[in-house]
Amino acid sequence: MREMIVNELTQATQELIREFARFLPRLMVMLIVVLVGWLIAYLVKWILRSILRLIKFDKLSEGAGAAQLLNKAALPSSTELVSRFAFWVAWLGFVLLGTSALGILGMQEYVTRFFIFLPRLIVALFFLFFGLLAASFFSRAALLWAVNTDMPSPRLLSSAARVLITVFTASAVFEELGLADSTMLLAFAIVMGAVMLGLAIAFGIGGQHLARRFLESRFAPEKKEVKDGEDELSPL
Amino acid sequence: MAEESVLTDEFVRQLIYVGEADILIGVPTYNNAETVGQVVQTIRAGLLKYFPRERAVIVNADGGSRDQTPDLVRGASISDAQRSADFQALRTLHCISAEYPGEPSTGTALRTILASAELLRASACAVVSPESTSIEPEWIERLLRPVFQGNFDFITPLYRRHKFDGLLMRNLVYPMTRAFYGKRVKEPYAAEFSFSGALGNHFLAQEIWTHEAGRTGTEISLTISAITGGFRLAQSFLGVKPHVDARSADLIAAMRQTVGALFWSLEPNFSLWSSNHDSQSIPTLNAGEEVTLEPLRINRKRLLGIFHSGVAELEPVLKQILSPPTLSELQRIAALAEDDFSYADDLWARTVYEFAASYHKSVISRDHIIQALAPLYRGRAFTFLVENREASADELQQNVENFCLTCERLKPSLVELWNGRK
Amino acid sequence: MSGGAYARKTASIILCEIDLTKTGNGEKSALPLPQDALWYKDAVIYQVHVRTFFDTNADGIGDFRGLAQKLDYLQELGINALWLMPFFPSPLRDDGYDIADYTSVHPNYGNLDDFKVFLQAAHERGIRVIVEMVLNHTSDQHPWFQESRSSRDNPRRDWYVWSDSDTKYHGVRIIFVDTELSNWAWDPVSKSYYWHRFFSHQPDLNYDNPAVREEMWKVMQFWLDLGVDGFRLDAVPYLVEREGTSCENLPETHAVLTELRAKLDKFYPGKMLLAEANQWPADLRAYFGDGDEFHMAFHFPLMPRMFMGLKLEDRKPITEILKQTPQIPPLCQWCLFLRNHDELTLEMVTDMERDYMYDQYARDRHMRINVGIRRRLAPLLDNDRRRIELMNGLLMSLPGTPIIYYGDEIGMGDNIFLGDRNGVRTPMQWEGGWNGGFSTADPESLYSPLMLNPVYGYQAVNVQAQKRFDHSLLSWMKRIIKVRKSTPVFGQGSIEFLYPANHRILAYVRQSEKETILAVNNLSNSAQAVELDLRRFKGNILIEMFGRNIFPRIGDLPYLLTMGAYQFYWFRLRRI
Repeated sequence: MREMIVNELTQATQELIREFARFLPRLMVMLIVVLVGWLIAYLVKWILRSILRLIKFDKLSEGAGAAQLLNKAALPSSTELVSRFAFWVAWLGFVLLGTSALGILGMQEYVTRFFIFLPRLIVALFFLFFGLLAASFFSRAALLWAVNTDMPSPRLLSSAARVLITVFTASAVFEELGLADSTMLLAFAIVMGAVMLGLAIAFGIGGQHLARRFLESRFAPEKKEVKDGEDELSPL
Repeated sequence: MAEESVLTDEFVRQLIYVGEADILIGVPTYNNAETVGQVVQTIRAGLLKYFPRERAVIVNADGGSRDQTPDLVRGASISDAQRSADFQALRTLHCISAEYPGEPSTGTALRTILASAELLRASACAVVSPESTSIEPEWIERLLRPVFQGNFDFITPLYRRHKFDGLLMRNLVYPMTRAFYGKRVKEPYAAEFSFSGALGNHFLAQEIWTHEAGRTGTEISLTISAITGGFRLAQSFLGVKPHVDARSADLIAAMRQTVGALFWSLEPNFSLWSSNHDSQSIPTLNAGEEVTLEPLRINRKRLLGIFHSGVAELEPVLKQILSPPTLSELQRIAALAEDDFSYADDLWARTVYEFAASYHKSVISRDHIIQALAPLYRGRAFTFLVENREASADELQQNVENFCLTCERLKPSLVELWNGRK
Repeated sequence: MSGGAYARKTASIILCEIDLTKTGNGEKSALPLPQDALWYKDAVIYQVHVRTFFDTNADGIGDFRGLAQKLDYLQELGINALWLMPFFPSPLRDDGYDIADYTSVHPNYGNLDDFKVFLQAAHERGIRVIVEMVLNHTSDQHPWFQESRSSRDNPRRDWYVWSDSDTKYHGVRIIFVDTELSNWAWDPVSKSYYWHRFFSHQPDLNYDNPAVREEMWKVMQFWLDLGVDGFRLDAVPYLVEREGTSCENLPETHAVLTELRAKLDKFYPGKMLLAEANQWPADLRAYFGDGDEFHMAFHFPLMPRMFMGLKLEDRKPITEILKQTPQIPPLCQWCLFLRNHDELTLEMVTDMERDYMYDQYARDRHMRINVGIRRRLAPLLDNDRRRIELMNGLLMSLPGTPIIYYGDEIGMGDNIFLGDRNGVRTPMQWEGGWNGGFSTADPESLYSPLMLNPVYGYQAVNVQAQKRFDHSLLSWMKRIIKVRKSTPVFGQGSIEFLYPANHRILAYVRQSEKETILAVNNLSNSAQAVELDLRRFKGNILIEMFGRNIFPRIGDLPYLLTMGAYQFYWFRLRRI
């Protein structure tokens, strides 16, 4: 009995050791893959950062108002951001690759799905990044334009522009990711409709004066309003 | 010359036939048929009267006018090929017109004119606006003679204008250019100016042509590069400035062309402007009465209105541009009643300097920075109009001078802002 | 300036009708020259004063024998007409234009026999002779005037214009403003005033008097009978006076001239009249009448404008004055010149142009006299061979008969420090030796000092030296005269200007029925490209007339030529 137990234990232990011995090289392979992957990812990050610096990517995104967005989110510069993102994506890829080497059941499938999903993720992130940039830029442009042309409610206009572009961006991102297609479309349609209605009302009230002026100037040019004094002066 | 040529083959052919010239007058146009005929005829009269012996040419750089503009310019030619001979003229006068490639832009037009001047080896060149309907033949003499005689390289104009005309010039462009670059050029952004052949070549070699800011505000960039290049400057009194100036009817466009170009120029010239601390006057030729005082109805309320809405609505934007003390000071004066409102010299100077620093750091889109300055400028213009309502010409000049001195005094603060983090 | 073909036809008709070897008096003339009624159109005229050319009797003054000796030189040069300045007996107070005897030779220059010998020799060499005739006035030393002033009853009293008051013809301009205060001068002998448009020692003849007209015709007959080929008539606008007019260019004056011309045509066909009238082309036009007054007239306004165009590097002055020049009758011709014995006159230019000319060509005040510039061709053009050649090229190719002033063919200089216009009347420079080969007299006894400076002096600039080299100005002048004479187009063809966009290029087409010549001149001091619109000559090839080289055929595109500084081309257009 005792011998049997010992035997069993020995066998189990041996089995375990055998199993472990069988598993150990895989683990080694995984570790090597992960390590090499880290090195490669680091290299990718370094190369990408050099390239982006060379093409003055920071300036490029600054022009679009990205710097301010990133500042706001306490994020590093856009070059840094993009290269770090590339690093993590690359390394994550290698980590997954390494994990699959372990031969764990089902893992393989997840890894495959990850690699299929990867390009879409990148594109979606790309959309998001520039979409948010555009939203910020155009909302500010609308604000400045409205203030300088003495339009009523500049903030409303600015916000409307921002919401519009953000919603559009979000829908594009989700579309790209393939998540909850129909829900998003519906949500987008609702928001869009609301904004349009809001704008219509806002313009209807605020633009009364404008429309009258336009019509008057169009059909009764002789009844010109007294010219705005400032316009008679040349600023230069 | 730059890699890509601004001169079309057809235009080069015309230049070949003009040949070497002593005097070149450039007229940048785009759909100016209404006024350009009169202007060019006056230029021609000026040339015949004051430079009958010199080889002169009028070069029209056109942005693709759909009206008769180029024909009107060409029509001022004096040539034996015409049916009616002109015996008053000693020699042939070529009036040539070139349609430069690309969008209509003063920058490209000026570049075309400069390139022509270089090819024709003109020793004195002038640029005249096709809208300057108040031009007289004497202007040609006053602009060109000092350069032609070799005494000066760059002549900027002085005009007779209403005391409330050119507010942006008096409240920002002149004082700031002067504070930065140390020369008291009263019209650094002029529709009329003249320059020597050597300076023309210097202009052409500048980087301004490859940058958007340089191209939109070429006139002021030229003035700045004449100053920074150490050329001999003078200003010459011409006469009445034409009242309507389509270039500057739109305030934002005017600010882009002047303030934008001025801010843009600060970067490459940092070592220069950060080290000089005062300003020198430049010679004034043919001095004349510069300020007229006749009463003028001005809608000041609108100016203040835009200022108020600007300070209130643009707060998130201004926060990024201005320092907290400056912003809160602005908000304080915005809260004042109309009668108590005053946008004082030093606050305005500080505002502009902080905008310049933010422009340098590109805290937001640079164009947005310029646009955000516009409502604040309107507040300043309101104060200027109120304070000088009863001012005589001398008092007005003195007030402008005081503001200039304030700008010069506060300049070190910009140098600090320039490299430090806000 | 056009219609050469028509002119020729008309002329030949005239020639058919008359006996060519006989003159009006039936006396045989010393004229063995081939008859050609249009000779003055094809001529190249050489202007010379006998005094200045060659001295054979060692008195320091040139003479007719000397001139005759040098005819070979002139023949070699290629000229075929000589214009002699006044050589008549005269007190010489106005360079011989104050004549004291119309039918003799001033003893300084020889005698009438010398003249006849000279004339014969000239004709033998195919050179025609034009003499100066001063119709308007005589010297106050002339016997006619002496008689006229002797008493109020003298039969010759009425030969001059007398008046008891000096207010008649009030308002008529005074020509020599520097020296004369009035057109009337007081005669203490007959105690009345006499009329003079020029110097007071030059009383005006009275052309209202038929006897005067008859007498002057006799004078002309005298020279025509000797065989002279034409007259240059001096000061023609002033012959007749009328109250209330400017007394210039009057119809009565034209009537006198028409009468003269009719007699000339009737009795001496083939002889020529050349008008000296310093007037605008439109005013000059009247002196051609309907082809019944003068054959030729000087084109005064063109000459300063040629110099101006060169300095401005702009063809405008030249083309515009020629545009302004009216058409003249087919048998008539303009006389063109670059320089002559007088100053380069600036009367026919605007004030602005005059100032320009003074500043550019006569900075030194010594170079100016009256309203003009007293300089010779070479110094005016800075002794620049290219410009001298270009100007001669223009002279020879523009419509008209060219006149070469003696010495300009070798590039003689001037002495602006001699008084009056004597600076351009210094002795001809024949060689580098004694007196420049002009005379064997003592240098001190010459009528005028020789040019001595190292650039223009006779040792540097002389005929002998230039004859030795093919590239000398003299050799070049011979060549261009030869080319000019190779075709009648230059003298008789029409002219049409091309107006290329390059205003430094003066281009024109000279055309007759048979021939077409294209002249292209670069007035500028730098190389130029020019595109000529020659489409109507499409298919022609160009043959350069000096080297006879072929240039590309004319096609549909503008004809592109590149030209060196001050270069000119003459092309013969040939359809081959």
